[in-house]
This record gives sequence, structure tokens and C-alpha cells, in this order.
Amino acid sequence: MKKLSGLFAAGAAVMMLSTAPGFTEEATIWVRADGSNFMPQIVEAFNKGHENQIKLDIIPTAELVQKYATAAAGGTAPDGLSLDLIYTPAFAAAGQLEDITDWAKGLSYFDQLSPAHVKTGTYKGRIYGLPFSADSSVLIWNKKLFREAGLDPDKGPANWAEIEADAEKVNALGGEVKGFYFSGNCGGCNIFTFMPLVWASGGDLLSDDGTKATVDTPQMRDAIAFYRSMVEKGLVPEGAQTDSGANFFAAFAAGNIGIAPSGAFAIGALNTQYPDIEYGLTYLPGKEGGWSSFAGGDNFVVTKGTPKLAVLKEFLDYAYSLEGQTLLASRGSLPVRGDIAKEALKGLDPRYQTAADAMAKGKTPYSVVFNDIINSQNGPWVQMVNEVFFGDDVDGSLATAQETMQSIIDAGGANQ
Amino acid sequence: MSSISHAAREAVSAAPRRRRRLGRSEWIGLLYVAPAVALVAVFFVAPLVMTAFMSLHNWPLMGEHRFIGFDNYVAAWKDIRFWRAMNFTIYYTLIVTVAIFAVAFPLALFVETPRRFNGFYRTAYFLPVVVGFASASLLWVWLLNVDAGLFSPAAVALGITPKKVNLLADFDLAFWSVIVMVVWKVAGFTMVILMTGLQSIPAELSEAAKIDGAGAFSRFRLITLPMMRRTIALALILSVAGSMLAFDQFYIILAGGPRNQTITAVYWIFSQSFVSFKLGYGAALSMVLLVILVVLSLVQLRLLRNPEGLE
Repeated sequence: MKKLSGLFAAGAAVMMLSTAPGFTEEATIWVRADGSNFMPQIVEAFNKGHENQIKLDIIPTAELVQKYATAAAGGTAPDGLSLDLIYTPAFAAAGQLEDITDWAKGLSYFDQLSPAHVKTGTYKGRIYGLPFSADSSVLIWNKKLFREAGLDPDKGPANWAEIEADAEKVNALGGEVKGFYFSGNCGGCNIFTFMPLVWASGGDLLSDDGTKATVDTPQMRDAIAFYRSMVEKGLVPEGAQTDSGANFFAAFAAGNIGIAPSGAFAIGALNTQYPDIEYGLTYLPGKEGGWSSFAGGDNFVVTKGTPKLAVLKEFLDYAYSLEGQTLLASRGSLPVRGDIAKEALKGLDPRYQTAADAMAKGKTPYSVVFNDIINSQNGPWVQMVNEVFFGDDVDGSLATAQETMQSIIDAGGANQ
Repeated sequence: MSSISHAAREAVSAAPRRRRRLGRSEWIGLLYVAPAVALVAVFFVAPLVMTAFMSLHNWPLMGEHRFIGFDNYVAAWKDIRFWRAMNFTIYYTLIVTVAIFAVAFPLALFVETPRRFNGFYRTAYFLPVVVGFASASLLWVWLLNVDAGLFSPAAVALGITPKKVNLLADFDLAFWSVIVMVVWKVAGFTMVILMTGLQSIPAELSEAAKIDGAGAFSRFRLITLPMMRRTIALALILSVAGSMLAFDQFYIILAGGPRNQTITAVYWIFSQSFVSFKLGYGAALSMVLLVILVVLSLVQLRLLRNPEGLE
């Protein structure tokens, strides 16, 4: 392996020699398929106006981490990568990423960049990732069904009791119509949309530094009771129990769901693909009001030792410009630069502003084992949400989840 | 099979004890087996050695690996979730093997006796075998879907259940759905193996027994079954090994659910290697599974070997 990477380095050196000034350089970047609504557009816009070029590969979301890891092991990793921000600590811990602290701190608007991104992009005090795309979790409701159910279509629910009452009224319409939807067997979906309910009420799942799991809190139990009650009342379709995320967006888009927690991405997707759906958008509320959100999206990271750093900087500078931020926003990715967010969103669907506010004040859990405890289809978090929403033993499920999560965190910490 | 092993045994006993230079014909023999040896070396021995080597390292999917001796094996020994998965795999293997034989044996008896349209029946039963496991699983994902699928809505339409039942939400329903799918997919293959065994039984034996007044059941028990020992052994070992390595159907249809109750050993190895990025640990688990499989196969061969004096 050592010899091989030496060879690659030599090859890279030769390539650098051949790309003397005057020649255009091409850097390869990857993005997960979730970004296919905005990434090709911004790359195309960049390539049109610049001498240096970006080559984009779109990778299936679930395979991105494996593909990148095997490519890195084989010396064929892309120069840069738009990476789900929650993975940044794990990638940095594995020593795959270039330390870009100096570059980041040199940006005049560094302190205006999305704090959630910068927090997850930082590992042991050094910066390995810069914000690229952003998505926050919000609550959406179907205005047409609200009207039919005799509710005010312009007023979204502002606490749990209102959500449940509104869902019941919509559900009473009968037929295919159901009051509420969530993907009951999907870890990613529920950290994104269920945890904000808990956060907004004052609870948390992990300690700030990610070293302690705090599963069993009164706020968590309240939120579970809230979902269980809606399941028991039959406000949620049967399929929700086994939905591992495939219907996370599609269920609401079909037009038969009254209320669903979702993300800012839904604005772009509904407006372009389902223009007939009339929907409202508000924050994910706490039990008695207030609100919270999961601040998600992608960090831009750089493969360690890439010779194309200059091209990537040029590309990111463009993405951070007003032109770039506006383009990204119009395709459904929220601005990541706070100082020009308002300007970038001007003239766009006003619901983006709500989502952008949610983003700015959103939370992002920090963990080097996020994949293991939260996103993995067989991890403790998925098992717990499925059990507590649909099973009979909430106490046992919470205890098991707490124990399993803590043991994975402890083992993960020891490995680093 | 037996003639080859006979020849091999004779060759071994004929070989002189002291070493000597290889003769011309032996060199030619080596040349003939060389491609096979090369294939086995490259695609079996090398990966196996590599896996064994990796299993002694902390080998993350990304980043540097380092030697840690037998730590992975110690961790595997203490890994409750791996042994739970192993438990489930054995439970699944037992049930699915019985189910496959319960379906394949009658099918084999049925298509073996000469009758009209036999070719059609054989083809029909065998067809699901040629569908890949992954594509078959995807087909069943749709069939089993509670809202858009076939079974749940059909049961409601036919008045069997009052409302749609989510077949994948409950362990027993989900587990048996997969069993039905696997039997549908695999029984045809076992049927063909058993059929060749049935066809190799000389008809005279059965006729002689008939003349002696043996009924259909005793003929089956005393002639067919003993004569099919080898065939059954083959079908059994293939079925058990295949089931112990089950992955696709549980990954695609159930994703290990409901509530992680259908995670098989290979699923857990995959998950440790490519979800948790612990390649070294996954390699160690693979070695453990390999040993278990070898032991299981040896036990089956022993149980089903020919009784003394009957060759």
C-alpha cells in the first residue's frame, strides 16, 4: 500500500508539472444524490464563467461513504466532496481530510457562516469542512385538506396539542386521507424531524461534545407519548410503521396527508414537481410552543493531499458569492452565509425565509459515531423510535437504546 | 463422484514412499490442473489469506490500519449482537431447510413420474430459481407492501381481514413472509437435485418390492430414502450453507427489521464492515462464520455417509 501511494504521489507530481500556468485545471468533486437538485446547476454556472473546471460525480446517497472510503484507499478519491455535515467529524478523525483552518479563517465572512456546519466541520480545534448546502427541518401542512376539514388553512399548528387536534379534524375527512405522517422506521428522518420536538421542549439526545447519551428525559417521554397517541387514534397510515424513509417526502406529496414534519428541501421539491399541492410551512414546535430545528446539509471537504486545492477554493468562492448563494437558494438549498442570506432569498418563495430562520437557530448533534448510533438502519436509534412509537414497552426500549448508544460511543471514542 | 475418489485413493496408495523426480506424464498432469489451481489460488486462497490477515488488524474503511493480534476475536466472543444474529441465522436455517424439503420432495416425486406436460411443470417450478435473489427480493418488497402491494390489499378485498395488515411490521408475519419467498425461489433447485437422485434408482428394485407386497409408503421409506442418501446429503448441505449465508432477502425486504429482529450473521458482518467501517472486525467475524460453516458441513457429511458395507 505504501509503495502504491508513493506511486500515486509521483504521478500527481508529474501531472502538476504538466499543468503549468496557462493550462486549465480540472478538479473532481462528488455529491450525494440528495444534492442533485442544485449541485449540477452551480457546477455548470461555475464552469461557464471560469477557466478552471469542476467535474461533478453524483453518488447514491446511501453509498457515498463506502464509495469514498474505498476510492481513498485505492488513491482515486475525488479532490473535494460535498459531505453530509454529520459525517465530517468521522472523516476528519480517520485522517482523510485536508486541514483547511487557515483558508477558512482567512475568509472575511467566516464568522457569518452557518454555525451548525462550522461546528461539525471542526475536529480537535482544526477546521476540516466549510458549509456548502443547507437544509433545516420544518412542519408542513396541506392547506386544501385544512380548508375541507373546516380549519383555517393559513394558520399552522404552534404546539403539540394543536398538531394533534388539527390532524384529528383532517383525519375525520375519511377515505384515503390521514391526519399525520412520519417515517416510523427511519433513523435519519426522525433525528431530523422528531428530535426538534424534544429540543424545543428542552430535552436532548446527546451531550454537547457527543460523549454521553441522554435518551431517557421527561421531554423525550412526552414527545413519544404525543406520537403514540396519534398512532393509537389511527391518524397515521399503516405503512408508516415500516417506512424506512422511502415515503418521507412522497407521502405528503401525494396530497392525502394533513400534517407532516419535513425539511426545507420540500419547498423546492413541491414547487417544482407538485405545483398543485397547496401547503403551509412553519417551525417544528415544542410541547407548549417555542420551536426548534435540525440544521442539516453538506460541508465541503477536501481530500488530504489533493494538488487541486486552488481550483476548489475558486469554486467555493463562487458558491459563497451572492450569485452562487442565490442560485443555490433558488434550487432548494438554504444560504449558508448569514450576512447575505436575506439578499439571496429576495424574490424567492417567502417560505424559504422561515426555513432559513429555522436553519440559523437549528441544532446539529455532534458525534464521531453518528452513523452507528443514528443513521444506521440497524442502529439503536431506529430500533428505539420504532419500538416506542408502535411497541408496548417504552421503558425497556429507552433503557436498551441508552445502553447501546453509550456502549457504541465509548467503543468509538477508544478507537480514535 | 465415487469413481474419482476411488481412483484418487488408488493413486495415493500406489505412490512410492520415497521422493523421486516427476515423470513426464506427471508434469503434463500438473499442466492440465494448473488453470484450475490458479483460479482457486487467486479467487479463493488469496482472499481467504487476506481476510485472515485483516482480521488481526484494526482496519478501518478509511485511514491507517494497525496490528492488534487477536483483539477482534476477543471482541467477537463478547459481541452479543453478533451471537444474537447467529442465533437467528440458525433458527432461520432450520425452518427454511425443513420448509424447502417439505415442498421440494413432493414436487420431485410429482415431476419424476412420467405424465403429460411434465416438461411444463418442471420448467414452471424451476423458473423462480433463475431470478437473482436481489431482484426476487425487490419483487416481494412490492408484493408485501401494505399500501401499494398485493397481499394486504387483496386480503381486504377478499374479506379475509377487516383492514390492511402491515405484513412487515410484526416479527412472525415478516419472518414467514420471507420463508414463503425463499421457498418459492429455491424449492425448484432442490427439486431438480432430488429428481436426479430419484431417477438413478433402478426401477427393478421398486418393482421387486411391489411384487413382494410392499406398499407405497414402505417402498418410499425402505428403498427410495436409503438409495437417495447421497443426493439428500448434497441438497441438504447446499441448502444449509446457502441459508447460513442468507443476506439479500433480509437486507432488501426487511432491512433487518422489525426492530432488528431479522439480522443474519452475514448482515451483521456487512453492517460492521461497511456501516460501522470496521473492516478488520468484519473479517474476524467472517472467519468465525467460516469455521462454523465447515463444522456444520462436516457434521452433515458424517450423519449422511453411507452405512458400512453399502457402497
